[in-house]
Amino acid sequence: MYTPRFTTSRRVLTAAAGATVLALSLGACAATPGGPAERPSQGSDTTGDAKNPFGVAAGSTVDAVIFDNANNVAFFDTVTPTMQELHEVDLKVTPSTQIAQQVQPRFVAGTPPDLLHSAGSGSIPVASMLGDIEDLTSVTNAMNLNGEPIADTLYPGVLDLAKYDGKLAAVNYSLNVHAMWYSKSMFDKYGWEAPKTWDEAMELGAAAKKEGKYLFTWGKEGSAYYLSLAIDSAVKEGGRDVLASLANLEADSWSQPEVQQSFAALKEIVDAGYFIPGGAGTQFKAAQAQWSLKQEALMYPTGSWIEGEMGDEIADGFEMVGAPAPTITTESALPYEAMRFAGGNRFVVPSDAANAAGAKETLRVMLSPDAAAEFSRINKSLTIVKDTVPADGFGSTSLVSARDLLDTAGENAFAWDFTDAYPFGDDKTRIWNDFLSGSIDVDTLTSEMQKLSDKIREDDSIVKIKVGK
Amino acid sequence: MTETVTALPGAPGRTRGRGPRGGFDRASMLAVFVGVPLALYLVFVIWPMLQATVYSFTDWSGFSGSFGFVGLNNYIELFRDESFLIAIRNNLIILAALPVLSLAIGLLLAVMVTVAGPSRGGVRGVRGSAFYRVVAFFPAVIPSIIIGIIFAQVYDPNNGILNGALTGIGLEQFRSFAWLGEASTAMAATIAAMVWATSGFYMVLFIAAIRGIDTELFEAARLDGAGRMRITLSIVLPGIAANVKTSYVYAGIAALDSFVFLQAFNPSGGPKRSTLGITQEIYSTAFQEGRFGLACAMGIVLTLLTFAFVGLIHRPRKKAAR
Repeated sequence: MYTPRFTTSRRVLTAAAGATVLALSLGACAATPGGPAERPSQGSDTTGDAKNPFGVAAGSTVDAVIFDNANNVAFFDTVTPTMQELHEVDLKVTPSTQIAQQVQPRFVAGTPPDLLHSAGSGSIPVASMLGDIEDLTSVTNAMNLNGEPIADTLYPGVLDLAKYDGKLAAVNYSLNVHAMWYSKSMFDKYGWEAPKTWDEAMELGAAAKKEGKYLFTWGKEGSAYYLSLAIDSAVKEGGRDVLASLANLEADSWSQPEVQQSFAALKEIVDAGYFIPGGAGTQFKAAQAQWSLKQEALMYPTGSWIEGEMGDEIADGFEMVGAPAPTITTESALPYEAMRFAGGNRFVVPSDAANAAGAKETLRVMLSPDAAAEFSRINKSLTIVKDTVPADGFGSTSLVSARDLLDTAGENAFAWDFTDAYPFGDDKTRIWNDFLSGSIDVDTLTSEMQKLSDKIREDDSIVKIKVGK
Repeated sequence: MTETVTALPGAPGRTRGRGPRGGFDRASMLAVFVGVPLALYLVFVIWPMLQATVYSFTDWSGFSGSFGFVGLNNYIELFRDESFLIAIRNNLIILAALPVLSLAIGLLLAVMVTVAGPSRGGVRGVRGSAFYRVVAFFPAVIPSIIIGIIFAQVYDPNNGILNGALTGIGLEQFRSFAWLGEASTAMAATIAAMVWATSGFYMVLFIAAIRGIDTELFEAARLDGAGRMRITLSIVLPGIAANVKTSYVYAGIAALDSFVFLQAFNPSGGPKRSTLGITQEIYSTAFQEGRFGLACAMGIVLTLLTFAFVGLIHRPRKKAAR
């Protein structure tokens, strides 16, 4: 086992002599474009044939490992026939719930799957695989099945989250809109409106208390949704510079005035008792049901996947819709309508894939409007492909709401996922549990978050994505 | 052939045997009963341990075929890492509490169902002991993760049966109390569930051991007027001391692992990291952060800790033997 590994290392060192991008890690070099061409047959060159841009061989097999849930399997059942029809390619799909554990030995052995769907709790951080996966820019440069350039059909900005020094390391297929979700029917019944500022949120909290309800709820695995809410509010207040500072892990970035105001506003809500107590000891789905099924809490800040996630545990006639994060003042840098979005469902193509062309072709099919619409129908979720959700949102109020929120935000939509892309991991969840249960104050929260950012920034083994302002 | 038959007239069948005495010869015996297990042990235990040791000196991400050696850097990083030190502290707390509690309760139950019965007639367990034995052993046959999920529900602040019972008897301070979400109670609640899950197993072990003690000893002690307590302390405990010690080692090793319960209750390490375990750190470092080299270093530290614990327990016995 060792011999081939050391051979690779040696090859890598040769590459290092010429390339300058090697500050990353030894593993990061194997597929660096511009390094010695190890696999000329698998370069990102395209054939020029719009119908088969990557030159997938008829009769070949694409070995795809996908995150196993009923919806993903159903979606791929609709992609498989298309691949067969177009190129007589057999798309073989292996569902798995533990992506990292199952696929990791295959990466090491040099026989990874052709297409990897890295999602779910066992997903593999893109940065860990960076040296071992293909640049997918050629996929977004290709034409979709309708003959339009794929890049022109995507929501702008969302793929930037997977770009490392210009290399598109992954395709984040689904699009999540982060909002505060609530029951429109209940709000109408009580005459409530979604709060536009934190002051209004306090008023709504008081109104909820009168009805024996709470403003918010949280579960122990999901406390960091409030971190996301706080960041969104701060970014809207102070503009994209605030986000860039946080996402670039700058020193004292959590002490920026807008972030502090945002934290302070949440602390006020915590201290007022507007959170359902005991969240730090409640399983997240049980906590979410307090909001969606029992309707003891009014709002829940999370991604647009929430309706699909709660499934049957949503009260009848709930009419789930989302609202943007509150701003701190009414004179914020970005308007109230500004929204955060992020990509989910990452797909990568390993460099050692036997049929990389087939994997890219699969992605091309998926990024065509028909397949994207199927994904939205099955998952009640947006994809990164624009204009594929019909007016009725396949009967999902939250899907319609997510689409409309994003359209309304327009240029003011902003994407970030640095708290997921970097190993903030369980630490952020723990810190936010402590904060929401009232056991730490804003100063401790700030210093603990800063400690995490500092540690990641100073760790040279973690590949960084520079975020522009 | 004829010669052989003539030479061994009394045992004609022996010539058909494979060896000189009709069974395995010494070499095949060694090959089968020592060689095969040794080979399996080398391939599946020693080799992975060596591999992990090597990886612990590298920056291997786990997903590439290559890595670079970083010397002792991983270990230096570990001992500067606040989280890892807290995890060690937490595992030591579990190590101090769990084996003692589990074994004590297991022993109590074992004594109850074997020798703590009526003081007249033969020495036997309390009435209905067969039933208690099954009930007490029951948690041991449930997978740990299921127990974790059940207890997470029991501890649920707003719908859990524990707070339901406590508020039911008028203890209003436990309304919405987050047993697993308060730094003061999270570890105790976790250990309590682990004790519940494991003590039945030790009870069964101890019952078997107590059955191995000569019953005449109990009869004699009874005639001399010894009560249940005296019998337990002076006959049962010395009689099963070796079993208790072995069980203690076993429970200690389990305490240093504890992954399933810690992860089921507080996957992010609990309030103020009060239930963060070493194995959780290993898991998240390897699979979430993609730093297998560092994770291997953690594994090596945990292994050394385990060796140290086992060594500590076994030392007095060696002295006694001398």
